[in-house]
Formats: sequence, structure tokens, C-alpha cells
Amino acid sequence: MKRKLLSVLLAGAMVLSLAACGNSGTSDDGGSSEGGGSEGGNKLTVWAWDQTFNIKAMQMAGELYAKDHDGFEVEIIETSSDDCQTKLTTCANSGDYSTMPDIVLMQDNSYQKFLKSYPDAFTDLTDCGVNWDDFASLKQSYSMADDKHYGIPYDNGVCAAFYRTDILDEAGYKIEDLTDITWSKFTEIAVDVHKKTGKYLLTSESTGGDVIMLMIQSCGANFVNENGEAFIVGNDVAEKCIDLYTDMIKKDAVKLVNNWDEYISTVTGGEAAGIVNGNWMNATLTGIEDQSGKWQITTLPKVDGVDTATNYANNGGSSWYITSNCKNPDLAKDFLVKTFGSSTEFYDAILPATSGIACYLPAGESEVYNEPVEFYGGQPIYSTLVEYSSHIPEFTKTPFHYEAREAVNTAIINITNGTAKEDALKEAQETLEFKMSE
Amino acid sequence: MIKKNSSMIQRRLIPTYIFLIIVSFISVFPLYWMISAATNTSVDVSRGRILPGGHFMENFNNLTAQQPLWRALGNSFLYAIVTTLVCLLICSIAGYGFEVYHDKWKDKLFSILLLAMMIPQVATMVPLFQMFSKARLLNCTLGFILPMISTPFMIMMFRQNARAFPIDIIEAARIDGLNEVQIFFRMFFPTMKSTYAAAAVITFMNAWNSYLWPKVIMTDNNSLTMPMLIANLITGYVTDYGMLMCGVLFCSIPTMIVFFVLQKQFAEGITGAVK
Repeated sequence: MKRKLLSVLLAGAMVLSLAACGNSGTSDDGGSSEGGGSEGGNKLTVWAWDQTFNIKAMQMAGELYAKDHDGFEVEIIETSSDDCQTKLTTCANSGDYSTMPDIVLMQDNSYQKFLKSYPDAFTDLTDCGVNWDDFASLKQSYSMADDKHYGIPYDNGVCAAFYRTDILDEAGYKIEDLTDITWSKFTEIAVDVHKKTGKYLLTSESTGGDVIMLMIQSCGANFVNENGEAFIVGNDVAEKCIDLYTDMIKKDAVKLVNNWDEYISTVTGGEAAGIVNGNWMNATLTGIEDQSGKWQITTLPKVDGVDTATNYANNGGSSWYITSNCKNPDLAKDFLVKTFGSSTEFYDAILPATSGIACYLPAGESEVYNEPVEFYGGQPIYSTLVEYSSHIPEFTKTPFHYEAREAVNTAIINITNGTAKEDALKEAQETLEFKMSE
Repeated sequence: MIKKNSSMIQRRLIPTYIFLIIVSFISVFPLYWMISAATNTSVDVSRGRILPGGHFMENFNNLTAQQPLWRALGNSFLYAIVTTLVCLLICSIAGYGFEVYHDKWKDKLFSILLLAMMIPQVATMVPLFQMFSKARLLNCTLGFILPMISTPFMIMMFRQNARAFPIDIIEAARIDGLNEVQIFFRMFFPTMKSTYAAAAVITFMNAWNSYLWPKVIMTDNNSLTMPMLIANLITGYVTDYGMLMCGVLFCSIPTMIVFFVLQKQFAEGITGAVK
């Protein structure tokens, strides 16, 4: 009896597994059989992450495009940013791009690494019909190599300083006092605010904090030189940024936390009176309903004593890419150009649905972008942010963005713990050089 | 005198109990926190609320609206059960064979097999992907289970446990006229139930929690599994911690049930008991 039961179970299991394989082999919609690029037809497959943001926007783009193109369809396969990279690496290393989708979303900070390592994985979009001047030059540069465009910039990573006006009031400051200031002035105010209210004007992750990257990039510089080599020792701008940042830590003007969850909890818990980061923090902030009307945004502080310093920077963001596996590149290009690449109507539609701020500069002039936002006490933050994004200076990109960030943050922690600055910077330089040589 | 002794023993045990209570609290707390967080809003979780709240249904509805929870659960069950059944059959036959039959190359072969345990899964990813892609085994159950159905660890476990299986039974069965296949299914299999149970728990959990391989070969939405669903919940700019914990809860319950049901046999199987 038991033997029969076991054989039935096993046979059933095998049949089920084979049946599942059989299904995936055939496809009746003209689309892909294995989730890879679509063969002809009117369907495009897309890899993207974040249901409420990127995926939602892509769905809306698909619907908008389908209005003028009967039968057009996008199939979105939810794939996290890390998984996109893992899958792309696996496909590229095995020399088999057949499972790649038509369109893939990639983080701006990590794209250069993939473009350099696997240049044959992406399609050149330079002549696809987009007026590239409609995008800020910095955003374009993330997806460019040798003057060729490979991506349509989408998610804007423009940074802003978000402040709790109620806490500033309590300490006797107004948002204007923090507008267009320098980091040393910021430190002075932050120390005062902390003394008077016990709250921090800046919080940051200790090992992977973004603040130091924002500081240096707002000067149009980076921790690498024009040739892409590690450039920490002897880099005056880098040293100024590191000095300012370590000074803030020493004066207890910045709250250092261990990870992203703690970072978020300083905001939700009310410990943070300010956040300096990408505009995407907006999505987290607006989720804290009891803080509505208490936040406002303004420009970032700028680095003291550097000629090229500005009050603007970028952190993160992502762009859409057409893979080399796309069997219908003309359709994919036309779709991206007519939606993400040139449609103010599209950007107006996705703003209320996703809070996604466009990289497409003309979108910032529309009425929808200029509407006051109640959460920020009536500030029209969307048009303001698009305007900020047009001022961000360009800088030399590196495929080793995250490695550089980690090396410098470690140096900063070492300096605050008493290591001599020269030694800490030398170690950071060596660490980064080593990572680059791996 | 006896009474006095036993009360002394009990008193001596007090620190042990206190220690055990603390340790069990530490082990159970994350589980409690997961359940409690699944009933709170994201902001409350982030603010460190420990008490259960009343938002479970809200989190659950958000989760099912955003992610295909039932499909992912169904897929995970299908993949995990098929993998477990096939793996147990193949590995137990292999383990039994290695122990019961004799050949001069047997031990050398076994050493090579054990060496394979040293190779991390990630290292085999690219060639495996190439093979599966060429064989058109992407996006299907067979693609998921094939690399997992025969693991050196399981074969070793069955071989170790088969050592405790009395060889006399096999000889008696042979004399009684059973052939080798019948001996395996009628004698070995019922006697080694606890080993099978332990192996089932381990294989089921590995298959259920498996993430990287399915993520690489499953490139379509219909093949989503629970760990992939959980990963999708933490990729956005905003993490809804309440919804996330609700998803984690659904992902953990099946493995917990499997473990609790087979707990006794699991302990026996690991220690190699034969009844």
C-alpha cells in the first residue's frame, strides 16, 4: 500500500514537472517563450523593479502608447536591481543573451560598469529621435560612452535638503537660513539645533553614507581622476569634503546610523530634523502622515573654499536601456521616444500616480509640476526639483562608485576614531586601487 | 533524605532554567517580532513598535494587490515537494548502494563526490545556465529541480545512516527470495523512516528557500517563488515593513509546519537511529 502511494506520488510529481516545462515551451501570444526578447509582434518585455514607482510608470507608458498603436503591449517582469545585474552578468558570461528582455531598467550608479564590461549587451540609441538637450547633461552622461547614448534617463536622482520646519522654528531658524549656505554654516546651525532641540539636522549611514558622495559631486569632482583612476590622496576637493564631514561628526552635528532601516527610522521616529539626499526620499517622507505640512525642501549646502562648488547634486536614479536581444528595436525605440523621451503628457500623468520626478526638463514647466504640495506646506516641490536638476555639475563617472563610497566612508570613520588623516586617506586610496584591479 | 536531595537538585537547576528561559526568549523573539510587525503599519514598525497592532488585513490586502501571493505559494510548494520527493529517492538509492554493495572503486568515487561539496553553487552558475538554456529548460519545474535532486550531502547522509542498517536483514531477505529492488523498498525504506524524515526536512527547506538559481533561470512572472516575491518587496525606494513582514510570515509558515510535523523523526534521523 505504502509502496503504491509512493509510486503514485513520484509519478505525479514527474508528470507535473514535465507538464510545467511543456507549457513554457509554447507561447500563443507572439511573445517570448522564455521571458526573453519578443520576436517581432507588438509586445515588449521589460525588466524593472518597484511596483509603485518604475513598474507603475512603465505600465502607464504602455497604456499611453497602446492608444495610438493597436495591440501594443508591455510585459513587465519584476526584477530587483541586484537581480537585473546578476542575470545580466550570468547571460553575458555564458555568452547567451537570449533570455534578456527587450528593455531593462538599470541604476545610473552601476550602469557604467556593465557598459564597459559587456558593451555588446545594449543598443545604441544616439539617433533614435530623442532631443537629448531636453535632459540635463549630467543625467545623459550616466548612460553614455564614447559620445554615444545608450539609455533614456528616467528616474531623476536630483538631491535636495529636506528640513522639518517645526523643529527649525523651535531652534529659531527659518528655511531661508538654510538655503544656499555652505557646509560650515550648516554645521554651525546643526550644532545649535541639536543643542536646543536634541534633534539632528543630518543623519547618515556610517559605512555607506551618500552625503560624502553628494558633497564631492556637487563640486563637479569625484574620487577618481579623468582617466578613471583612484584619486583620493592629493585630491584637494576630496580632502575639503572629508574635512568638513569629519568635522560634523566630531561636533555631533550628524547622527551616524548602521544601516538603511535605522536611517529611515530616524526620520519616522522624529529624531531627524533634516535629510540631505535624493528626491526619492519624498516617497518615504510622505508616507509619514503625522508629519504632513512640517517638511520643506531647499538647496543643498555647498563645499567651502572650492571654486567649482555648487548647491546641487544627484544621487541615484535610473534609465531605460534596449538590450541587444531585442528583436524589434524600432518598436522599442519608438515606444521609449514617444513616452519617456518626449511626452510631457506622459510625465504629467505619472507624477500624481508615482511621485516620479522626470529627468525630462520640459516636464518641469507643466501645471501639474507647479502645483503646491500640501505635505511640504504648499511648496511646489516637483518643479523646484526639476529646476535643481538642471544645475547639477557634471563629473567623471566611475564604474566603481560604490567601492569608492565605501573606501572613503571607512576612511572618515577611521579619522574620527583617531587615525591620522594621511594614513586613512592612503589606505582608502589603496583599497580603491585594489578593488579596481580585481 | 530523598526529598531534601531532590529539592536541592531543583534549587541547583534554577540558574540553568533562568539561562534557558533567556536563550529561548532570544530565539523566539524574532519570530514574535515578525508576527507582530505583520500586524502593524510600516511607520509603526519603523518606530520600533513591539506590540501587535490591528493592521494585518490591510497589510495582507496590500500584499495580494501588489504581488501574486497565491501563485508564488503554489509554485514554491510544487517546486519544493517535487524536489524533495525526487531527491530522497535518488539520494537514498545512491547512499544505500554505496554502503551495501562492494567495489574497489567505490570509495574513490565517493571521495570525488564529497569533493564536489566544496564547489560553491555560485561557481557553477554560468555553465549550468548555459546548459539549461541550450536544453530549453528555463522557466520550468524540471529546470528548477534538476540541479538540486542529487546532492553529495544527502548521499553522504544516507550512506552514513545506512551503516546502522543491519546487513543481516538484507541477507535474510535475499534468502526469502526478494530481489535487490524489493529489498530496498520493502526492507530499507520502512526501517529508515527517520532518516528519510530528516532528509525531507533539509531538502524541503533548501528547495523552499532557494533563491539565486530560480532567479537566474525563471525569467517569467508565472514562475515566481516565495523568496523571489519577498525580494520584490524590498527593492523600491520605500519599503512597506508591515507588508514585507506579512510576506515573510507566509513564506515561513510552510517550513515551520514541515519542521514541526517531522520534528521527532528529524532528531532521530540526524542522530542516526534505526528502529
